[in-house]
Amino acid sequence: MTDDGDGGGRGAWGRAPAQLSGLLGLVEAALLDERDRSAFLEETTRRLGASLHHGRTVRALVEMVIPKLADASVVVLPASGRRTHWRRAGPGDARSAGEVAVATLERIPKVADALYGLQPRPAVIRPQEMAALDDVLPGELVHGEEALVVQLAAGGVPAGALIMLRGPERPRFEDADIELAHQFALRAGLALATAALYSQQAHTIAVLQASMAPEPLPVADGLRLGAAYRPAAEALRISGDYYHVAPCPAGGVTFFFGDVSGKGAEAAVLAGRVRQSMRTLAMVKRGPDLLGDLQLLNDLVISAGHRFTTLVTGSARPCDDGSVKVEIASGGHLPPLALRGDGRVEEIVCEGMLVGAVPDPSFGRTELRLEPGELMLLYSDGLTEARGGMSGRDIYGDERLVDALAGCVGMQAPSVAERLELLTTEWLAGRPHDDISILTLQAPPRRGSPPRRRPGGPGGSASTGGSARTGESASTKESGTS
Amino acid sequence: MNATGITDAVRADFDVCLADADEGGALELAVGLVTSGVSAEDVLLGLVAPAQVRVGERWESGEWTVAQEHAATHVSRLTVDAVASAARAPVGGGSPRHVLVACGDGEWHVLPSHILAEVLRLRGFQVRSLGGSVSPHELLSDVHQNGPDVVALSCTLTFNLPLAHRQIETCRCAGVPVMTGGPGFGPEGIWAYALGADLYAADARDAAEALLRHWPPVLRGESSVQDGAVEEYAALVRRRPDLLAHLAHVLRDVFPGLRERPDIPNIPYSSGSSGREHEEGTEFLGRLLDSLAAAVFVGDERVFTGQLAFAAAYFSARSVRPRCLLAMTDALADRLRGSPRTLGTLSAGRRYLVTREADSRRPE
Repeated sequence: MTDDGDGGGRGAWGRAPAQLSGLLGLVEAALLDERDRSAFLEETTRRLGASLHHGRTVRALVEMVIPKLADASVVVLPASGRRTHWRRAGPGDARSAGEVAVATLERIPKVADALYGLQPRPAVIRPQEMAALDDVLPGELVHGEEALVVQLAAGGVPAGALIMLRGPERPRFEDADIELAHQFALRAGLALATAALYSQQAHTIAVLQASMAPEPLPVADGLRLGAAYRPAAEALRISGDYYHVAPCPAGGVTFFFGDVSGKGAEAAVLAGRVRQSMRTLAMVKRGPDLLGDLQLLNDLVISAGHRFTTLVTGSARPCDDGSVKVEIASGGHLPPLALRGDGRVEEIVCEGMLVGAVPDPSFGRTELRLEPGELMLLYSDGLTEARGGMSGRDIYGDERLVDALAGCVGMQAPSVAERLELLTTEWLAGRPHDDISILTLQAPPRRGSPPRRRPGGPGGSASTGGSARTGESASTKESGTS
Repeated sequence: MNATGITDAVRADFDVCLADADEGGALELAVGLVTSGVSAEDVLLGLVAPAQVRVGERWESGEWTVAQEHAATHVSRLTVDAVASAARAPVGGGSPRHVLVACGDGEWHVLPSHILAEVLRLRGFQVRSLGGSVSPHELLSDVHQNGPDVVALSCTLTFNLPLAHRQIETCRCAGVPVMTGGPGFGPEGIWAYALGADLYAADARDAAEALLRHWPPVLRGESSVQDGAVEEYAALVRRRPDLLAHLAHVLRDVFPGLRERPDIPNIPYSSGSSGREHEEGTEFLGRLLDSLAAAVFVGDERVFTGQLAFAAAYFSARSVRPRCLLAMTDALADRLRGSPRTLGTLSAGRRYLVTREADSRRPE
């Protein structure tokens, strides 16, 4: 087929369709290319936008540019000292990470600029400049090929530098690639900077959380302990509820349990202070003086601001006969409940005023004995005031709690705490709630006296279970009377 | 008896320890197996896990009270801890493999995920465990803070499936793949894949092996939950209090617990007792309603019929005729005429109950 140029009018009519289809082909290719690029960028936003974990974001980022933009890529993170971290993906499935001296990186001005956020456009690094990067780049790709470096930043906040390399069989970076790398870096930089900020804050919060969360319960001979802790701010795991149990050198434990007014971080800060003060008191005082402790604490809480707290403090001492002697003093806290061996639930009356509400308040003190298998329950009002149930608006209330506790004869202290947490959580069915804390303290049952058996006979048969797992016969209240 | 050295006699002894809530005995037995050379994984999966299944059965059959079930479960849990610490986890080479283990929202069967966490640790994974009933907020916050490579989500109760779906979406949206496990996800995990899970494992050993085979796990699941199903599900959730009140009224003479029962003595808290019993009856109905909603959500009537099967067995074990369940499906169908998927699920439930009753009459 001959082609005599397209200048003449004759024959142009005949040639036009061929030219047109050629043109259309080009347009189509360009369109497909463009669609491909936007899909890549969209995927970038989708994958990186939802990740706030810095390490994961870095990992995803280096992997994403392969193979679209490069055969291997490295992210170098901003320096926090004389050395800094890098992470690499490619060629192929190779992954590695390490540290490099900042001074080494600074020998390549384009990399340094990108790292400090002074390299707004992607820049090509010539092969002869790359010797300084030997530690960071995959050996097989360094020699003879040029690399592309782009800064990762969110506005003025530098978040790292991304270096991309291509294997010898691939074409060099063209303008379109450089533009795509630029668009990618804008999105990736934002995601990385956000994740870096979040991770720093999350780390700070995690450290504070760890200092505020209740410590694990000790193991104490002759006693069983259980606890449950469900803060209102579930994602943050901090609350105005607090408890602490410490073993005594002479046997048994001392404990305290309280609830600062309000919730969230503000309440948690005071809770942390009260906890620390109680522990300091325990270290400096000469003998047990529960009421004295509460008076000192009252002054401290008043001086700390306008919040106040409820508090039960006490000790539990196992006796030779297997029973446990408990002594408590209360500052305005809900009365503890005792679960007796026959399934009766008793309120332990111990009147006292709130701690930190008025100067010179009066506090109550009382003693009780737990026989083997019997248990004392301390709880915060988040449990009984949980709103939910069938209507979604009813409070869980004291009666339900008493009934639930009565059904726990034969259970160990930790499983009683968990059971009560379970029932409240089911009651809430995902609704928001106040801080919920539970502490159970039990005299271990006598050896050879397994939990009371109660046949699920016809008496209980008329009732239905609460839920598939926690189904409970309605005659639970009868436990112990059989 | 099998190759692992866990004999039927050992199993029987362990069952006795659970029945007596004898933690000393249980620990001695299980740790003894490990020190005598049985692998910790075999003890967890061949002794503790099956014993716990029997615990559930003894509660379901009415043989045990809730308190007994919980006391036994607690002993199982202590056993898992003791067995795991008696065995040394391998020192992992290479970069650590992080797994976050969590129970679904509303899910309180902690033991299976506890066993999973320990089995994964024994296989060299780094495991964080969040315990029972983890809210999506808590899960998301942990995923962002700790950046696991995969989240292992456990669900044992089918009516929690819509909640599990939320959690799966939450993790996947944050770029973290989800492995699922537990009977709640249905036979061979069919509902796990319907909800968009990336992996499913039938038990802890399967889970460990699937993760080792597919490491690093990647996002590849896709939710097939239909918009129309979500709409009907949402309507059921919204109308739940209404529907429950209606059921409690219509079924007051046929459904256990809903009627005043003067023949049952109410011991210490007599004032609250009949009210409480009524509440428990309604709650049981609530679970059936939740299963209906979950079945509509997932688009599979078996989610509902499965719960009906459980309820019928539960009633039969307590000498209650399961006919009342039929009355319930009818009463609901009457109220939900505008919801085609729900009606379809209800009539599947009805068919199931009718067939079941016919089958149970045949031998006599």
